[in-house]
Amino acid sequence: MQILEKKEKFDYLYLAVLPVVTTYIFELKKQWKKFVIFSLIAVSFIILLSYLPYALIPDNPLPDTQADYFQSGLNFLIMIVIFGSCFFFSGIICYEYDKKTGYITFPIINKYKLVTGKFLGALTLLIGVIAAFYIALGVLGIYWYGGPINYRYYYSFGIAILYVLAVGSFVTVFSSFMQNVNMTIVSTIMILLIANMIIDSLVMLLYPEFEPIYSLNHASDLISYILVEDFPTKLEDRYEEVEFRNFTRRRWLTPTIVGGITVFLLYTTICLVVAAIIFKRRQL
Amino acid sequence: MSKTTMESDKLEMKSEEKTLIEPIEKPETGLKTVMRLENLTKKFGSFVAVDKINIEVHEGETIGLVGPNGAGKTTTIKMIAKLIRPTSGEILVLNKAGELQSLNGNDKDLVKFGFLIDQPFFYDMSANQILRYFARSQNYPKEKINARIDELLTLFKLIDWKHEKVRTFSKGMRQKMGIIQSILVDPQIIILDEPQTGLDPKARIEVRATLRELQRQGKTIFVASHMLHEISELCDKIALINNGRIIAFDTIENLEKNLKDKELNCQLLYPITPNNLEGTINRLNEKLVPYVNHDMEESTADHDHGVKYNLEKQSFKIYYDGKKESRGEILEIFMSELKSNNKIISFSQPKTSKLEQIYLEMIQMDEPREGGG
Repeated sequence: MQILEKKEKFDYLYLAVLPVVTTYIFELKKQWKKFVIFSLIAVSFIILLSYLPYALIPDNPLPDTQADYFQSGLNFLIMIVIFGSCFFFSGIICYEYDKKTGYITFPIINKYKLVTGKFLGALTLLIGVIAAFYIALGVLGIYWYGGPINYRYYYSFGIAILYVLAVGSFVTVFSSFMQNVNMTIVSTIMILLIANMIIDSLVMLLYPEFEPIYSLNHASDLISYILVEDFPTKLEDRYEEVEFRNFTRRRWLTPTIVGGITVFLLYTTICLVVAAIIFKRRQL
Repeated sequence: MSKTTMESDKLEMKSEEKTLIEPIEKPETGLKTVMRLENLTKKFGSFVAVDKINIEVHEGETIGLVGPNGAGKTTTIKMIAKLIRPTSGEILVLNKAGELQSLNGNDKDLVKFGFLIDQPFFYDMSANQILRYFARSQNYPKEKINARIDELLTLFKLIDWKHEKVRTFSKGMRQKMGIIQSILVDPQIIILDEPQTGLDPKARIEVRATLRELQRQGKTIFVASHMLHEISELCDKIALINNGRIIAFDTIENLEKNLKDKELNCQLLYPITPNNLEGTINRLNEKLVPYVNHDMEESTADHDHGVKYNLEKQSFKIYYDGKKESRGEILEIFMSELKSNNKIISFSQPKTSKLEQIYLEMIQMDEPREGGG
């Protein structure tokens, strides 16, 4: 009797998860080419900016430590994550509506399972892209400074994954109400690259002492700053005073570790809830 | 096990002539209701796309939802597919326990559906990859997937394109893919919206043959089309929809019975001059009062007097009571009325497809409106 009940439970779970898993695998296959292209771009970035300048220009000294080298290399990661998120996540919801593909799987797959599979697939691929970035940079770190890799580099990778999750969720919100993929890509790139920077600058001007804890840009500083051996624990160590035309403002170096991670998780949660609500209400 | 699910592997259509003209020998249709639309209504703002539709579909039946473009067919099907929400009313569908269940309930309890809506679009993958994904995600037995895909691709003559990307397919080939995906997992209820759109005549015959085969297997089929003649021979019942309303829902025989034998065409050699037209029609109407079709009088203002003159065709259309003896009387009335200045060159029942004629008549009866769904 118990065995039967267990089997029933297993079957129930299997049927519930199956559409998500198959959609996930299908998404991996569907976006495989995009993954290869972005990985190549990421590795090319590393070679171009973290290898060639030191290999070809004799007077260009390497940073003092492996951690510093990684820190400078990771500055390019943000761009890759933003562009990657926009390209991998933009079609998650709006593509189904734009192309009217939703009917295909009803009623065995409900639309939430379809989107969950797609989201997880896109997330995996983008994590794969940044993993390629980290591996290439790590290999060069060993090449220039010898092993082993600074253990904080792995922390940085973990935080970068959270950042990918947050930015991917942000793009998913746009995908839930935009008409098509191209519009989603353009609008999210504009917001993530330009609008956020403008908002941060305005806040900095209006409230010079306020730490922009709402900002994904600010939180993303943690990805590279986590590599600093003596990570600042006091507030005054996390910013620099900058003088500009008789105006003193604070340039924030990094959020706290807990603060940064919380921002990423909050962004992820809020964005996914909002996307789910819009998605629920959206009709073909 | 339901009779509709047993014969999934028997979809063998190797010989075209085998299926094209054979009479349908499908399992007896029971009276078990598999789907019921109750007062189904959809409004887009103030525009009523679907207006209190009531349809009951029984197991094994093939129902045709027929209407002109913008009549509300696709909107109705999209509501069944849960792609849009009804403004009011309900859709009840058979569940695995054999009971009717609201579509808003738990999807997993429902019997399997297959859908083809509008012009199907597919992800930019090969036909094989896409069909494998659909089959796996809908829990079709893994070991049977390859054989099933090959079987259907062969049936629709797409087997050579199995590993080609769907974006390289023509419109007709994509439509075939749409039909394949709708029957891929051997669903009990198959809902098709304009399945023959974009297909060449040969492919249309193949689609009809496939539908016949599915009928033989006892599947319940709900097919929407604006081309009545394409589906009329397949359907047990036809629901004529116009302006979002079902204007008739019955067996083809009953629909025909209502109109086909109650109409005559009287073709003249010369046109009636506009000066004489009104007087001629009035005189004819007076004389035809005992023979006119009173059902038609009640249903439409256009046919108040039982006689209608078509200027272009130079012919009268007479709606009468359908009795054979009346036909002779009516002919005599026309001959006596027109003998002085005209000649009758033809006096007959309509030559066009009976059902097509019914369709056109009913659509004409319904008030025109703007927009569509």
